[in-house]
Amino acid sequence: MSWSGFDVAVTGIGMVTPAGVGTEASWANILRGVPAAAPDPVLAGLPVDFSCRVPGFDAEVTLGPKVTWRTDRYTHLALAAAREAVGDAGLDPATWDGARVGVVIGNALGGTSTFEAQHDVLRREGAERVSPMLIPMMGISMVAGYLAIDLAATGPNLVTVTACASGATAIGTARELLRCGKCDVVLAGGTEASITPLIVSTFAKMGALSRRCADAARASRPFDVDRDGFVPAEGAAILVLERAADARARRAVVRARITGFGASADAHHATMPDPSGAGVQQAIAMALADAGVGPGEVDHVNAHGTATPLNDVTEARVLRRMLGDRPAVTSVKGVTGHSLGGAGAIEAACTVLAVQHSVVPPTANLDRQDPEIDIDVVAGAPRAMPISTAISNSFGFGGQNAVLVVSAA
Amino acid sequence: MNDVIERIGKLLTSRFGVPAAEFSAEAVLSDLDLDSLALVEFGLVAETEFGVKISEDEVSPTDTITELATLIASKVA
Repeated sequence: MSWSGFDVAVTGIGMVTPAGVGTEASWANILRGVPAAAPDPVLAGLPVDFSCRVPGFDAEVTLGPKVTWRTDRYTHLALAAAREAVGDAGLDPATWDGARVGVVIGNALGGTSTFEAQHDVLRREGAERVSPMLIPMMGISMVAGYLAIDLAATGPNLVTVTACASGATAIGTARELLRCGKCDVVLAGGTEASITPLIVSTFAKMGALSRRCADAARASRPFDVDRDGFVPAEGAAILVLERAADARARRAVVRARITGFGASADAHHATMPDPSGAGVQQAIAMALADAGVGPGEVDHVNAHGTATPLNDVTEARVLRRMLGDRPAVTSVKGVTGHSLGGAGAIEAACTVLAVQHSVVPPTANLDRQDPEIDIDVVAGAPRAMPISTAISNSFGFGGQNAVLVVSAA
Repeated sequence: MNDVIERIGKLLTSRFGVPAAEFSAEAVLSDLDLDSLALVEFGLVAETEFGVKISEDEVSPTDTITELATLIASKVA
């Protein structure tokens, strides 16, 4: 049986990212290419003391105090993005058939700030003082549960965990739920809020992070010859997905379509990408086959592009080998940093917006492209161009790869 | 008693997301979205605020603010 070309419409987007609160603000600042990285008081005194935080997000104002106090920040960001996405899609949870609405959210680490705070309580004050709210706040599954409560969505409900590919895996998984008919609408995306001293310290010790502490704004520099690691970030993006035929039937605005999904495992090393790029190539090939498009038809690539020395050169080699020099490649992480489980969803949203608006955002901080990287990376200014087919790459520690194909509406 | 009710009100509005407009002596805890887990958390906060221990079986989401205040006042006394 061939499923090739199965059509899922993106009818709503919500974004809460270091580039801004709301899709409009996020997209505008990503197009401007202004890096979000800045010194972070929470990280003061650590070897890496800067990050990309969501600016000006007040959960109590956006979500109300009753929800805010009992949920972790990684859920706050997702709730705000989900409400925006549902509104953008023109859907109303008060009237929809909730049993047909699924929720699939990618996340890597759960409520780490809650976890760390309560661990401090245990050490300082003893077991009797530990909060009963710890598990419902930090548990990785909780974000999808809270979205269900908030939006009366009682269909299939899950969290996908594939490290930095989690958000893309969620969208791909949502596509499967629509394809097999178990949902009519799926809220799919990713979220992360793990900029904590413990998590940043261990990423730094791994050598994964940029050490450009004296010049934070220039630290996240995907594909640049002077890149030295990623910048930790927080953020969320949620898409509203429906079968394209259903979306057309209700006369929804279709921003773009998710036409393919590919996934694979490197089976190589816990944290290092396979230098051959075989796993990445396999995932891209699977996604393109799922979409029924050839490698010569890809106009635009939203790269994983973390700005780690190994990722960028490996990813670029695979792109060159498979897709040639045709696609205009970008990494929005130059602006947003790397939000782990949120990244794949934020970048899928950017890919949808790029296709919808026929413009590729620039890769911030790309001053001198690594001579080892022989692909067409957009830098300096946005590039206006028609885009019929794009892919969004996401790769995780653990060797998990997820690739989405986004096609024009 | 009124002093205890007032202090409970401040804790609930500052730490438990209860809008001041919803708080009253007659309000039932569950109507303020205070479920059993939230009341365990309230017990931890109350221990710091009032210096008393409230065990899980002493307070229920069906209690009113006045009943909660009476319990705390009896322990403080």
